[in-house]
Amino acid sequence: MNGIQLAAGPQRTRWQRAGWQLQIIVAYFAQFLKTRLVYRVDFLVDLAANLVAVGVQLATLTVLFDKVTALKGWSFEQVLFIYGFSLLPLGLFNLISINIYSFAEHYIADGNLDRVLLRPVNPLAQVLFESFNVSGLNEIMLGAGIMGYAAVALELRPGPWDIAVFAVLVPSAALVYTAVFLGLAAVSFWFEDRLGLAPPIYNVIRFARYPLTIYGRGVQAFLTFVLPFAWVAYLPATWFVGGPDVRRWAMCTPLVGVLVMALAYTVWRAGLRRYTSTGS
Amino acid sequence: MSELVLAPWRRAPGASLRLYLGFARLAFLKYLAYRLRYYTGVVSYTIFVTGNAYLFRALFASRPETAGGVEIGGFTLPEMITYIAVSWIGRSFMFNNIDRTLAHQIQQGEIAMQLIKPFHVQTVTMFEAAGEAGFRLLLFTLPIMIVVVPLFDIGGPPRAALYGWTLLSFLLGMVINCQLNFLVGCLAFYLKNIDGVIRAKAITLDFLAGVLVPFSFFPGWVQTLAAWLPFQGLSYVPVMIYLGKRAGPDLASALLVQAAWAIGLFLAGRLLWARAVRSVTLQGG
Repeated sequence: MNGIQLAAGPQRTRWQRAGWQLQIIVAYFAQFLKTRLVYRVDFLVDLAANLVAVGVQLATLTVLFDKVTALKGWSFEQVLFIYGFSLLPLGLFNLISINIYSFAEHYIADGNLDRVLLRPVNPLAQVLFESFNVSGLNEIMLGAGIMGYAAVALELRPGPWDIAVFAVLVPSAALVYTAVFLGLAAVSFWFEDRLGLAPPIYNVIRFARYPLTIYGRGVQAFLTFVLPFAWVAYLPATWFVGGPDVRRWAMCTPLVGVLVMALAYTVWRAGLRRYTSTGS
Repeated sequence: MSELVLAPWRRAPGASLRLYLGFARLAFLKYLAYRLRYYTGVVSYTIFVTGNAYLFRALFASRPETAGGVEIGGFTLPEMITYIAVSWIGRSFMFNNIDRTLAHQIQQGEIAMQLIKPFHVQTVTMFEAAGEAGFRLLLFTLPIMIVVVPLFDIGGPPRAALYGWTLLSFLLGMVINCQLNFLVGCLAFYLKNIDGVIRAKAITLDFLAGVLVPFSFFPGWVQTLAAWLPFQGLSYVPVMIYLGKRAGPDLASALLVQAAWAIGLFLAGRLLWARAVRSVTLQGG
């Protein structure tokens, strides 16, 4: 039994426990991939549906920019870059964390959380890694393609430093998504009737892909400080396409991600402590 | 019990109508039980209208050369905001998940139980959709209007009679939408993986119906293409009627084309259904 052992008992060090949890997560993913590979056609159909979604968005942008040369000073290519960029963290979030979106229904109302709590692995890690949404991979590919096209059209010359920044910004933005929806999931510990707040909030995402300056000051402040979707696409992407005045804010994205995540995780922990099963 | 004759060929038309109206009533009551779920939907629709209103305001503001009475695609800014609000309000009324429900029943084999009952599944589906639309109108569309209309200061149509024509046009749009959804749902008889088709339809429909961008923004050939497709009858046509941009003979022909699509798609649904159920093999439940 030198592979996966049965319990992360107290006799192990913190690092051993972390390594062990990582092993479990890898096992979860492998298991999930096996179940998905049975349905190879699903992946292609999913890719087609994603292509259609991107096609609709591109057609909309093209028509709008057919009427103006710039939207509040933003060129077509800049807006395109921000849109492409937005698909990368969204794809990461959809790939890994989409479970958190239906948490209230699947885990609390249907009682699946009991099963999770009985296992000696971090409950949040289990919820996050129990299933994956492969459609996220499509979004990442399409987003990278669009962003690449826009970058070439804008004649961007990213240096090694930019690429390092990029590698930090994308996961940070995905962290913001996960934190927002983790916070919502955590709130459902108190309001056991499904609040149904997740869909309207998910619907805000499509408007967070445009340069924030097209919105009024109130909306901008709301998306920056209350529902922090300014940090999932627009603000990090301005590092590459924004002017010097907005650009410096991009580097705050990791900080915002960690802060919002810490807040959400605190609420989540508090919620878990007061959780009583539905018994179903 | 003479009214409740089960064999359809011996049933009086009045009894048939009562039977089908019963499904509309049941659907209405079913959605009434879930009405709380629609409160957050009101928030979603307000977000859609707000986001799009800002987007188009920015678009109009980005045309400095004609800042005063600027028109884009034949719209002034107030008309554009009205277009967005009215089209989302109409969408809230006619949206339904017939395609998903039907596909689910076909995939699970539950449809077998429907097939042995003495009614026509397509007609039942339509009446259920009507019941749902009735519920939506009262407890979803109306609250959305109460929020959105004052928030964006949405004005009425240029002539009071247009209220009636717009309503009629949206009703026809709702029928077209039901028929389209029914046809998509029927594809589950032929395709193993219907979810992707339904997703792709859901994504494209708002665009094809003109909810996202009005067709007058597009180049001429797209407008011609749209005019030959049924989708603009869901949203673009009724909203253009509301704005008074379809008047006189244009108004009559717009409504007639919608009615023709409603009937044509209904017949197509009948035909597809008749073919599909004859050849289908269902998984035993």
